[in-house]
Amino acid sequence: MIEWNEQHLMLQDAVRKFVDTEIKPNLEELEHGDTPPYDVLRKMVRTFGIDAMQRMRFEKQIAREKALAASGDGAVAASEPPRKAVEGDGDTMGPALQLIPIIELCRYCPGMVTAMGVSAGLTSAAILSKGTIRQKEKWALPLLTLEKIGSWAITEPGSGSDAFGSMQSSAKRRGDGYVLNGSKTFITNGPYADTIVFICKLDEGNEPRERKILHFVLDRGMPGLVQSKPLRKMGMHSSPTGQLFLEDVFVERERLLGESEDAAGRGGRAGAKATFSMERSGVAAMALGIVSQCLELCTEYARTRVQFGRPIGEFQLIQAKLAKMEVARMNLQNLVFRQIELSAHGKGMSMAEASACKLYSAGAAVEVALEAVQLFGGNGYMAEYQVEQLARDAKVLQIYGGTDEIQISQIARSLLSH
Amino acid sequence: MKILVPIKRVPDPQTNIAVKPDGSGIVTDNVKFVINPFCEIALEEALRVKEQQGGAEVVLVSIGPKVTQEQLRTGLAMGADRAMLVVAEEELDPATAATVLKKIVEAESPDLVLAGKQSIDDDANQVGQILASSLDWPQATFASKVEFSADKKEVTVTREVDGGLEQVAFALPGIVTTDLRLNEPRYASLPGIMKARKKELKEVPLADYGVAGAAKVKTHKMAPPPKRSAGRKVETVQELVGLLHTEAKLI
Ligand SMILES: Cc1cc2nc3c(=O)[nH]c(=O)nc-3n(C[C@H](O)[C@H](O)[C@H](O)COP(=O)(O)OP(=O)(O)OC[C@H]3O[C@@H](n4cnc5c(N)ncnc54)[C@H](O)[C@@H]3O)c2cc1C
Repeated sequence: MIEWNEQHLMLQDAVRKFVDTEIKPNLEELEHGDTPPYDVLRKMVRTFGIDAMQRMRFEKQIAREKALAASGDGAVAASEPPRKAVEGDGDTMGPALQLIPIIELCRYCPGMVTAMGVSAGLTSAAILSKGTIRQKEKWALPLLTLEKIGSWAITEPGSGSDAFGSMQSSAKRRGDGYVLNGSKTFITNGPYADTIVFICKLDEGNEPRERKILHFVLDRGMPGLVQSKPLRKMGMHSSPTGQLFLEDVFVERERLLGESEDAAGRGGRAGAKATFSMERSGVAAMALGIVSQCLELCTEYARTRVQFGRPIGEFQLIQAKLAKMEVARMNLQNLVFRQIELSAHGKGMSMAEASACKLYSAGAAVEVALEAVQLFGGNGYMAEYQVEQLARDAKVLQIYGGTDEIQISQIARSLLSH
Repeated sequence: MKILVPIKRVPDPQTNIAVKPDGSGIVTDNVKFVINPFCEIALEEALRVKEQQGGAEVVLVSIGPKVTQEQLRTGLAMGADRAMLVVAEEELDPATAATVLKKIVEAESPDLVLAGKQSIDDDANQVGQILASSLDWPQATFASKVEFSADKKEVTVTREVDGGLEQVAFALPGIVTTDLRLNEPRYASLPGIMKARKKELKEVPLADYGVAGAAKVKTHKMAPPPKRSAGRKVETVQELVGLLHTEAKLI
């Protein structure tokens, strides 16, 4: 893929119109008020038939899994092509259509993409990759259609980058179920989530380092579960972030993802890491939206803002900023094209490649957005001008989904291990 | 029921238009083109009729340069069933466009032609009317509401006229042109965009319609409207009244 095709542009156009009429007029409320983003997101998902498409895809996958389960792995696997081969026909439509709304929304409201991505992306993906068929039907589908809002909770006050090492949250067996305890912080959608994937360690009285990692699905309102109010933060105001407190929350075994403590490979550390990897790949599209918008706003401003008797675009120092922004935009676009192409062929990025991609994208978004503030001068520092918001929003891309430092160490580890 | 919807490719009304220095037309480089907003409203209405009645077919037709495919594909993605493009690189005047459409109507025999009341580029507001008279079909222009009788043989149209609303009814086939407040067009949806790839988009050269050199109206020169001069602040009401009297000559 070297450029957007006619259908891609058609969707881009339609989403832009939607953003113009539904989001731009409400931006003030979404960014500085107490309006959660979910109603607008639901409207978008319905308007573009994304919910119907998600449901169709989900039903197909579940039907395949059921057939597979019913006939014992071998027979069906041989007669029916696996999911990857069905999807990997080189058609870029599917993956492109998923990324285009992300890019377009990020031009105005990266927070909404964060809220949507964690719910319909991360949380549902965790259930889809680790859950039983019954768990997927019960919890993943309503997340994919945004009917329900989801949170994926791993971070704790004492454990961030070292997510597993210092994790305190625990599960203890009781009767046929488990008792959960712990607190989580910085949890996207935490204040409003209907469905929470809670990650903790199985406490069997053994060494914390040796404990198994388990994923549980919680519902809003369960006894012992408290969801905090949104935390105040630097940016991404349209994405509510909060804390979760669990005090002796009793759960049946049916809430343990995979319904087995040994869903090895699928669950546990590997499962959580796979989720990290997917979280990282969305960042290029987000950065592309932020950078494209900054570039457009800056180009216009450079043309029209006059100082020393001429448009500031005539000063070479301003030109250098614009040129650098364009270079970043092209790089990000190429990364997004590569992701689409890989996905169209049923492939994905390796962990190290996804890390490199996230590291570059987040850095580019932050650099461009801060330069955009600079180019706008005093106006750039004022909330009235959009670059001020984009600069605050961009910063978190270097922190969540694994900090820059963690990406760097993972890239280096992969390079040095060969 | 078969509904024919003619649509036109026009510059996006949101973009700033610049006139070429020689006055021969507008600068089209880097200008976004869209479906004429009134045509889009006509298409939306046709799609709603289709959804309400079930079994209706919505056929799009456009006369314009080859790139008009983009707008027709968008229309197909919104939900039209098939599309036809009469490829014409030069601009046609309203009467010539209506002549081409007449031949298409005769070949397709739709029950209803739903068109925009005018296109926002030349604002002629003529094609629907000329088409109706050349076919000798009933017409209702500036529709703000379109309703069908139970047997689908008759249509009642509410029209926006000076000073109020007017209702007219006629037996199909006929022509309705749409006003701004009839509906709010939908967005092309993801499934719609996917499906549109497989829908028919037929191209026919303008030469097939034998209208070469038929245009009676030619654009001689375009000029941008004069720039609005800056406003002025007045100190008192008396001063304002005085200026309205002596300068603006309004009172
Ligand atoms: C807006 C927002 C939304 C979030 N959403 C979620 C969510 O939905 N779910 C969830 O579970 N979490 C979420 N998080 C948490 C996020 O993933 C963590 O903040 C992040 O992983 C960093 O952890 P930490 O904050 O504990 O920082 P720390 O790990 O304490 O890091 C502090 C500093 O030390 C550096 N550092 C740490 N270890 C090393 C090392 N080995 N080498 C070099 N430098 C190191 C870090 O890079 C950083 O600069 C969110 C965070 C934010 C800000």
